[in-house]
Amino acid sequence: MASHSFRGRVALVALATLFVLAPRAFAEDPSVTDLKRELQAMKRQMQQMQETIRKQEEAINKISAGRPAATAEPAPQGAAPAATAAEEERVKDEIAAKVARELQPRLAALNKTFPSQFNPAIGLVMDNVFSSKDHERANFEFRSAELGISANIDPFIRGYAILNGTPDGIDVEEAAIVTTSLPYNLTVKGGRFFADFGRLSHQHDHNLPFVNRPLVLDRFVGGESQGDGVEVSWLAPLPQYVTLTAGWYNKIGAENDRADNGAPRDFSKFTYLGRVASFLNFNDDNNVELGGSYAYTPKIDIEDRNERHLVGADLTYRYTPLSQASYRGLVWGTEFLFNREDRPVGGFPAEPTVEPLVFKRRDAVGLYTYLEARLTRRYYPGFLFDYVQDVDGVEPSTRAYSPYFTIWLSEFQRLRLQYTYLDAPTNHESQFFVQWSIALGSHVHGFGDR
Amino acid sequence: MRAFVVSLLTLFTLALAHTPFAAAAEKIHVVTTIPDLADMTRRIAGDLVDVTSLATGVEDIHAVPMKPSFALLLNRADILVLLGLEAEHAFLPGLLEAARNPRVLRDAPGYIDCSVYVTPLEIPTRIDRSLGDQHPMGNPHINLDPVLGKDMARAIADGLTRNYPEHAAVFKKNLDDFTAELDAAIARWQREAAPLKGKKLVSYHPDLLYFAERYGMIPAGTIEIRAGVDPTPGHIAELEETMRRDHVDLVVRERHYPANLAATVAEATGAKLVELPVMVGGVPEAKDYISFIDYNLHTMLKAVQGG
Repeated sequence: MASHSFRGRVALVALATLFVLAPRAFAEDPSVTDLKRELQAMKRQMQQMQETIRKQEEAINKISAGRPAATAEPAPQGAAPAATAAEEERVKDEIAAKVARELQPRLAALNKTFPSQFNPAIGLVMDNVFSSKDHERANFEFRSAELGISANIDPFIRGYAILNGTPDGIDVEEAAIVTTSLPYNLTVKGGRFFADFGRLSHQHDHNLPFVNRPLVLDRFVGGESQGDGVEVSWLAPLPQYVTLTAGWYNKIGAENDRADNGAPRDFSKFTYLGRVASFLNFNDDNNVELGGSYAYTPKIDIEDRNERHLVGADLTYRYTPLSQASYRGLVWGTEFLFNREDRPVGGFPAEPTVEPLVFKRRDAVGLYTYLEARLTRRYYPGFLFDYVQDVDGVEPSTRAYSPYFTIWLSEFQRLRLQYTYLDAPTNHESQFFVQWSIALGSHVHGFGDR
Repeated sequence: MRAFVVSLLTLFTLALAHTPFAAAAEKIHVVTTIPDLADMTRRIAGDLVDVTSLATGVEDIHAVPMKPSFALLLNRADILVLLGLEAEHAFLPGLLEAARNPRVLRDAPGYIDCSVYVTPLEIPTRIDRSLGDQHPMGNPHINLDPVLGKDMARAIADGLTRNYPEHAAVFKKNLDDFTAELDAAIARWQREAAPLKGKKLVSYHPDLLYFAERYGMIPAGTIEIRAGVDPTPGHIAELEETMRRDHVDLVVRERHYPANLAATVAEATGAKLVELPVMVGGVPEAKDYISFIDYNLHTMLKAVQGG
């Protein structure tokens, strides 16, 4: 017992000494690898010290064995073990306090010396498409490498940017500031971002359920609903989920060539947006999202006098059996758009002309609707139907029929096969696509990705 | 066009008129991510709270649908109670983004993380997507171990006390009562679980790690290649071979995973198939936290004892 107690005490003192000396063992640059190495070194030192202590104990025991028993006055029975235990506790407390005092500044320093901890989350999405069409040669198309960066900025806002590298160069697709803690359920977004118009126009290409953006979004919105401006969104304090959005932008649509995005303009030449969206939960497994959008431009640049109205209605029905959400499901998504603006009679001439253009009000509609099933965690077959009228009212309408099959090889790797039969006024053709997309690095399941 | 704008304005006005700012808080509005935490919160805070769970219990905690109605619940919440260790990464950050409620954002006082007192297992030494859908802070399925359930309850009580110190005495008394009840059950489960010691199990996903650790069972692989990555035929063949060689006793299918494959693996290897919920509410018998652990343990025992 005495030997045990003595051995324990020696070990504790040795441990304390070790920790007192340990600070020198910590490297100046306390990276994780270095710390691990230091820990290993400390383990080895500890083993060596234990070995030394063992040898010393053996020596002490040998010496003690040759001596007569101690002649000190015996303590009352039971008091000695109690005193020893109390002493041990005291030593333990002292050591613990000492260790904490020695370690704490180093732990704090460790945190402080990792400024990279403040680096934003970074992710990269790569999107590649092989296409083969009746009237075009086949092509491997590197579509994009999108670098996404996001982080909280302070207690009041967060920021994110999407830098898109394409064969044409690098473009800032989005770079936006978003409030996080405004009162009254308000959120303000500013900078360059995808305006809250409709259902799929504010999704990046690689996030679409199919290979290509629906024709109506390409023609009426101008690809992604990119806009430089500001947007205010409000979650209504109703029992029902209802959000209202108001936006103000230079223009909406990355490929909308009605206005020059960079040029200053009169207030009448900005685009103003209103959107209402709601959600109906039929039961645990079935629900519908509904939305209505309206983008108004009082004067568009073309003739300096034409106003433009773009109206959209969207519906997304989802069947998601809760207990099998990763393996079964169905989505039906539809969007209908209406465009009204003055367009030149006969369309824009291919070459500049001295003749003044004659404008006439043109209404055009378009829609897409798709149905997608989730058969397993990997396989998602679907069918997309496109219909769009010519905004100039010159050519007949275009239709497209696209069965597609998406294979999620993992959460971060996706293959998609698509066939499209394009029924356009001057082009009737079959098109085949194979899309291979991946995401690497940080990923967040944002609310818009649902 | 005008009608559209008028209806928008009408909706806006109606919504404003309906604002229930004054009618707010007779009760503390708590939203929990899973029903286990809802049960514990009710036990700890009693009538002081009105509790709603986002998941019903039958879901995969990594695949709870991100419904806008959940954002609405979180918007009205005074307190959010979550399991933590990034278990809810697939839906909670997105919902919080849409909820516009700074009271329950990460690290706000109303954000109660139930994993704070738990020492996690399987903390990865290397973060790499080739290792599957990793949880950098460790395996998050802590609710399947009742001893960790006590830590979770303590985190809830401490979190509620931090927000509502005026009710501290109530929270403490209720926590003590709940812990005592859980302690009694834990002692019983420990005795009952003796036949499970040393039994080898393969589960679909690494949900059972803490349960296995508690009762001396030996996890011997997963049907998924890596957490979150569906199996390939090659992986299944390899797994079956290992299972036969190591005489694995049980195949556990967490009830939100496909039934056929788990049954096939069990049949091919001679292991017993066990189907378990991973949350309260996953089966009708798992009405609350104690009956949930009861169900899992007894189902496992029945399989081991050939019942």
